[in-house]
Amino acid sequence: MRRIILASLTAALVIGLALAPLAPAQQAQQPPPTWKQGQPASMADSMLAPIPQPPAPAALGELQVDKIKVPPGFKVTVWAHGINNARAMTWGDKGTLFVSSRVAGNVYAIVDKGGQREVKVIATGLNLPNGVAFKDGTLYIAEISRITKMPGIESKLANPPAMEVVYDILPRDVPHGWKYLAFGPDGKLYFNIGAPCNICIPPDTHANISRVNSDGTGFEYFAHGVRNSVGFDWHPVTKELYFATHARDWMGDDVPNDRFDVAAKKGLHFGFPYCHQGDIPDPEFGKGHSCSEFAAPLLKTGPHVAGNGVEFYTGSMFPAEYKNRAFLTQRGSWNRTKKVGFRVMMVTLRSGDVPKYEVFAEGWLQGEQIWGRPVYTKQMKDGSLLIADDYAGAIYRVTYSR
Amino acid sequence: MRSLVGASIVLALLAMIGAPAGAADLEAGRRKSEPCAACHGRDGNSTIPGTPSLAGQPVYFTHWQLIKYRDGRRKDPQMSPAAQNLSDTDMADLAAYYEAQRPRQRPAKIDPAKVVAGAQLANLHHCTSCHRPGLVGQQQVPRLAGQDFEYLLKLLRSFKAKTASDLDGMMTMSAQPLQEQDVLSLVHFMASLGGE
Repeated sequence: MRRIILASLTAALVIGLALAPLAPAQQAQQPPPTWKQGQPASMADSMLAPIPQPPAPAALGELQVDKIKVPPGFKVTVWAHGINNARAMTWGDKGTLFVSSRVAGNVYAIVDKGGQREVKVIATGLNLPNGVAFKDGTLYIAEISRITKMPGIESKLANPPAMEVVYDILPRDVPHGWKYLAFGPDGKLYFNIGAPCNICIPPDTHANISRVNSDGTGFEYFAHGVRNSVGFDWHPVTKELYFATHARDWMGDDVPNDRFDVAAKKGLHFGFPYCHQGDIPDPEFGKGHSCSEFAAPLLKTGPHVAGNGVEFYTGSMFPAEYKNRAFLTQRGSWNRTKKVGFRVMMVTLRSGDVPKYEVFAEGWLQGEQIWGRPVYTKQMKDGSLLIADDYAGAIYRVTYSR
Repeated sequence: MRSLVGASIVLALLAMIGAPAGAADLEAGRRKSEPCAACHGRDGNSTIPGTPSLAGQPVYFTHWQLIKYRDGRRKDPQMSPAAQNLSDTDMADLAAYYEAQRPRQRPAKIDPAKVVAGAQLANLHHCTSCHRPGLVGQQQVPRLAGQDFEYLLKLLRSFKAKTASDLDGMMTMSAQPLQEQDVLSLVHFMASLGGE
């Protein structure tokens, strides 16, 4: 009897499938691609779209380094070029600069050989390997859903060791799934798990900054309500975590601002998706919440600027007032009719006062044309500052002399 | 016409003033495409079912796919070895050559009912947001209009199965709600598009 019922059910299903109409009349409208998601009907005709990454780096002659404006006494030169999609940088113990990429899927090692930079690809075909961090002779690499390591890499650049898994049970979502990776003062690896959308109620596992021990144990969430932070650093004195966050798109040219925040302790909520820039409730998800429930931004850094790199200056080459200033690198806007960002800003923290926020380096944007996109900085041992440009595939060096 | 001639002279001059390594060379691309012609056609219009046409594909698309074949993110018995020895300049030249070729619609047995269903699905799934109206492609996003039926079917099924290489995850995500009959309808629709 049971079997007969099953058989007829199956038959009914088969008939049902056969009779199913070809026209998808009953199908629902699907969500748009992530970059377009959250676009209101009033902007449906907008031609704004993310700026595509060129598949190859610019030639040396195409780098308009003379157009980069810096304060008096500073000078910008090309330090290395031909590094497809060069992004985050970290130093090895023996002076190798390790450089990440995103869509290029590569990790590079750059060695300074008598004033010439030698670029080697040490890993390729990776899944958006934006995060690189180095500790005790070992390079750590963060892709979308995993962190791996290469022990002893600096003495094996010509023949890199296999990547060993440190932690590989992270979400597989690609949107905002690429990671910034850095060691905190506590010796733990910190990284972002971004919201898998432009705007949505993210799963509990997303929209945060997380940390894990370098042996893959002790995973925990550190900061919540963070849409996507792909740049952070710890204050040289207070050791508190400061981070940049990209704000949502499609709310107009001038709101919401990207943010620069401090997470002085674990467990704070920074507002996403309910409240943007500390004072604008989300038009859809803000209902039933007040912005006062969440940690307010330390600084509104501008709408659509795409704040990536965060680095506190600890060197001695730059003038004394630069000590402990934060360099914020802004990769630049796409979701804005007039482009902004494409520059390196600097923040001076002042106790009892709002931070001072000013331009350090700009000029990758000329009118509405861009020739490069600065994305991260890294201080050199001598106190000069490297700036990576993922669009042009180059690294510039900023020096100072009085 | 005059302005065209003027433009070509300017272009020729620019080419002579030591073109930077980043600027692609169409003539070099044509020469370098000779080994590709057996499958993809001399002008990038393939006649082999299952093999995609490259004519009219955006430069960024072709270049990125070649990079992925070279580094192993995209795999194919013919293409993976073919891409191994290509330099970045080779890829840029090839991509520029193919973009400059006029695409021709591939022959296919099109079911008009499926084309209608596919057109509706293309709206429901926002295909034109990235592939542009007419599915002609742009930047790193491929042209689908008039592409080979078997190739489109294979690719869309692989995106649904999460086995196709995806530069930014967008296609894998977009293909998940599709049922097999939707995939078929979409492919009939894409293959039916001819014009510019």
